[in-house]
Amino acid sequence: MMTLAMIAGSVIALRLVDIQVLRHNSYLQMAERNRTQIIYQTAPRGRVFTADGVAVASNAPSFSLYYLGGNQDTEYLARLAHDFAPLLPLSEDELLSKLQTGSSSGKATLLAENLSTKSTVALQELQLYYPSMYLIEETKRNYPYGSFASHLLGYLGSMDERQWRKRDVKLGYRLNSKIGKNGIEKKFEEDLKGQDGGVYLEVDYRGRVKSIIEDKKWAAGSDVYLTLNFALQQAAEEGLKNSKTGRGAAVALDPRTGAVLAMASAPAYDPNMFVAFSDEAVEAPLKKIDEYNLAIQGVYPPASTFKVITGAAALESGLIDVNRKIYCSGKYDSGPRIFKCWGIHGPMDFFEGMSHSCDVYFYVVASQIGAAAIERVQRMFMFGRPTGIDLPGEKAGNLYGPTRRARNKTYWFIGDTLNLSIGQGELLVTPIKLAQFAAAIASRGNVYRPYYVEKIVSNQTEKEKRIGFPEVLQRANLHPQTYDTLFKALKHTVDTGTAARVRIPGLDVYGKTGTAQNPHGADHGWFMAFAGRKGEPPSIALAVFVEFGEGGSSAAGPIARQMLEAYFKQEEKPALTVEPAEDYEELLLTEGEENA
Amino acid sequence: MPDLKQLRSGRSRFDTLLLGAMIALVLLGALCIMSAVNSLSFSNPVVRTHFVALPVGLVAFFVGWSFNYQVFDDQWKGLYGFILLLLVGVLLFGSYQRGSRSWFVLPFFSMQPSEICRVCTILVAAAFLDRRGPQIREVSSLFFLGLLLIPIFGLIMMQPDFSSVVVTFPALLILLYCTGVNVFYLALIILFAAVAGFFTISWTYIYLHPELLDYEFFRIFHDLAHNGWYMVGFSVLVTFLGYGMWWLCQQFRIFLPSVYFVLATLVVLAGLFGGIFVEHQMKPHQRKRVETYLAPKSDPRGAGYNVLQAQIAMGAGGVFGTGLFSGTQSRLGFVPERHTDFILAVVGEELGLWGTLCVLGLYLIILWRIISIAYMSGDRYGYLVCSGIFGMFFTYMLINFGMLIGIVPVAGIPLPFISYGGSNLVASLWALGVVQSVYARRLRA
Repeated sequence: MMTLAMIAGSVIALRLVDIQVLRHNSYLQMAERNRTQIIYQTAPRGRVFTADGVAVASNAPSFSLYYLGGNQDTEYLARLAHDFAPLLPLSEDELLSKLQTGSSSGKATLLAENLSTKSTVALQELQLYYPSMYLIEETKRNYPYGSFASHLLGYLGSMDERQWRKRDVKLGYRLNSKIGKNGIEKKFEEDLKGQDGGVYLEVDYRGRVKSIIEDKKWAAGSDVYLTLNFALQQAAEEGLKNSKTGRGAAVALDPRTGAVLAMASAPAYDPNMFVAFSDEAVEAPLKKIDEYNLAIQGVYPPASTFKVITGAAALESGLIDVNRKIYCSGKYDSGPRIFKCWGIHGPMDFFEGMSHSCDVYFYVVASQIGAAAIERVQRMFMFGRPTGIDLPGEKAGNLYGPTRRARNKTYWFIGDTLNLSIGQGELLVTPIKLAQFAAAIASRGNVYRPYYVEKIVSNQTEKEKRIGFPEVLQRANLHPQTYDTLFKALKHTVDTGTAARVRIPGLDVYGKTGTAQNPHGADHGWFMAFAGRKGEPPSIALAVFVEFGEGGSSAAGPIARQMLEAYFKQEEKPALTVEPAEDYEELLLTEGEENA
Repeated sequence: MPDLKQLRSGRSRFDTLLLGAMIALVLLGALCIMSAVNSLSFSNPVVRTHFVALPVGLVAFFVGWSFNYQVFDDQWKGLYGFILLLLVGVLLFGSYQRGSRSWFVLPFFSMQPSEICRVCTILVAAAFLDRRGPQIREVSSLFFLGLLLIPIFGLIMMQPDFSSVVVTFPALLILLYCTGVNVFYLALIILFAAVAGFFTISWTYIYLHPELLDYEFFRIFHDLAHNGWYMVGFSVLVTFLGYGMWWLCQQFRIFLPSVYFVLATLVVLAGLFGGIFVEHQMKPHQRKRVETYLAPKSDPRGAGYNVLQAQIAMGAGGVFGTGLFSGTQSRLGFVPERHTDFILAVVGEELGLWGTLCVLGLYLIILWRIISIAYMSGDRYGYLVCSGIFGMFFTYMLINFGMLIGIVPVAGIPLPFISYGGSNLVASLWALGVVQSVYARRLRA
């Protein structure tokens, strides 16, 4: 019998060793999970700054009031309700009933959240007298300038099931954490997100609070520095908003680096409306917003702005004399069809043809040099391919020319050449593409990849992480004389021609307007320009597009002028804080010599 | 305090080791109870009651030790009457608590008579068997003992107090085994319990998982409980199997008495019908209890939750434990019944593996001493009494430890000397006193 007892004893002992030694850690974890309850405090997300140091996405403090008092008599609760109700968005009765629920359950009870900063000072003082109330500071995303660069910044939202599976507790996410849903908020989610803090409570088996174990402070996320110029971006947005239709895009690049100085897209939205705490409040506006980023996703024919390419091809071919006058009678007979000009300009040389945007001049030139030459210059400036900006959903646009047509196994007609020469037809570009093109002309051939994030700076370690670098995608190797002539023609356009709206004293402004014919409604207005201070190389290149704006000069011109004024009004502190690429410095030198 | 020389010479009147283990367990128990209710002060009703029961238990121990145990042999009829009187009394005058009528509530204290009856039943059964004289090992003594104990079990079931039955029944089996009753008959009793238990558990499992009925096999099995024809068919099958076994044994020249086969067949059939009876009587909440035994982790907030929490407490303790009064699982109330049935979880959490192994070791020492004293005893009655008491403590240990480590269903059995419970403590100490009495009188008897 004793043997039996010994066997039973050893079986029990082995199982005890199994439970208490081998599985100790997992059981210990379960015990910890049993006894702790955490009231989380959302950490502030990293801020987003423009290049000139304006915080365009920051955090507003947000307070929640908890009751941790456990069981208390009704008299005490009534006193609490009486003292706290005036400071909360609750009536005294509502507060009392919440307090009573909290008191009878003994659990940590949320009384009010999203409290205004104004009332919190008074609440903090009251809290000193009533230790059973606990004020928890959280932060809430705030975009102080509303819809400022909303298409770039993006917005926050709740996680859906799939995202939750990817970002679980290990990465510091909770089921009700908000994550970036678009733009920078999404792209730099890992950097922007901080470490949430929390109040760790010890609770008993019914969830009643016994004590506060730890009050862990949060750690803020890293800040993101954009290349945007605040005043310029604001001018672009306001201009678009006040334009004829309120729909359009404006992109400004630094032609020396490819940094995006402004990128506005209208209509925009205010990302603040997605910050609300409850999901129901967010759902309705989410359905309404326009996530469509016209600046990179809208494709339109470039119209007369394309005449710069045609002109470049003509100059490059060496077949034309810039001073030779071509007579514009208002129409051009191509044989099978008569092509019209938008006016009757009389005799025009190259500069006048450009400045008055005379169609007939370019019809004649194009039929002289041929469509293939025009297509070749298009390829030099990477038309028909995305600019490569690090944003999702960028459209490539469409290259147009005989080679492309041959690939589709159809014919190329003379009419196609003429259409191509004035930027109509199957040719399609995005506003940012045109801005990149303007910057490429301004920098005499450097097709830069646009970038908009300069660096990320950690709030914890102060460490900097470089994100954006100037990157030359391709060199458009036209003859220097070609660039000289183009500069001269575009300056002529500003000084005497269609782009006269952007003539600003003290600046060298080069520009070209465009009016894209739209068979479905009003024409679209384009404006392409680059400028620098007198005698200096251009420091900004921009493209403005107004959908259904009818006239390039009338609709897009004023916006471009506002932008240029805003940009040059400030003490020019160029976005060029990044070391320029090596080959770029060489280029500047050699070109400078050649110019001289 | 007898000196070691006397102990070795075998003339000591006191088994020191047994006493030492007992005192160690009682002290450890008192500490753990205070830790479990998280109070050092006597104003706590649990602590107060325990420290009142402790001296009463010590008195009971000395009474058991100083009385000649043979008095129970002489006066077994009186003792039997006393048991019946107590059990009838509690049915008439007892107070109704937690679904059973098993407490005498008096102005200053309450007591649970079935705890005392447990020990008395063993004394009476031992006396009855001793009086059978030379026929002690025959089947008839088994039969008459059964007849004698039926009123006691019946009265206990009327309270009802399942835990008493659960402890006393195996204790009596061990007593009978030590008596030397033919193992075959004991095996038959166990076979009966096993068959009845198997059918009950299986049917309950099917009842709780109706999707199993899609399978033909389970459907037929389930209908066995309700369809008369199936019952007859099964009975015939079992009968033929019994006959076939006997025939096979004949062929292989193994000559076993044919009565064995007849009895085995009858017992299996009795088990079947017992199972059918229980199946028809069972209430849903009782079925749930069986379910918990089968899969304790499937329902973390149900009854299996208790075992899980107890295991979490033990596991969290690790090797050295968190220290007395600082186990979170017990202090914050996650361990249920933490000062009574699940006190081992408190020991495990706060004193760690060393604590639980200590309790286990002390228990094994006590069991070893009781068995040794049984062999030393001067007469057969002393031997039988010690065997019965050994069986009782062995069962307690097995069920309580088994419950915590998850191999025995939650049965609501306390761990004597450690758990809170005045009546249980007094009765257990008295039982050890009786064992000491057997030891003291081993030479004289």
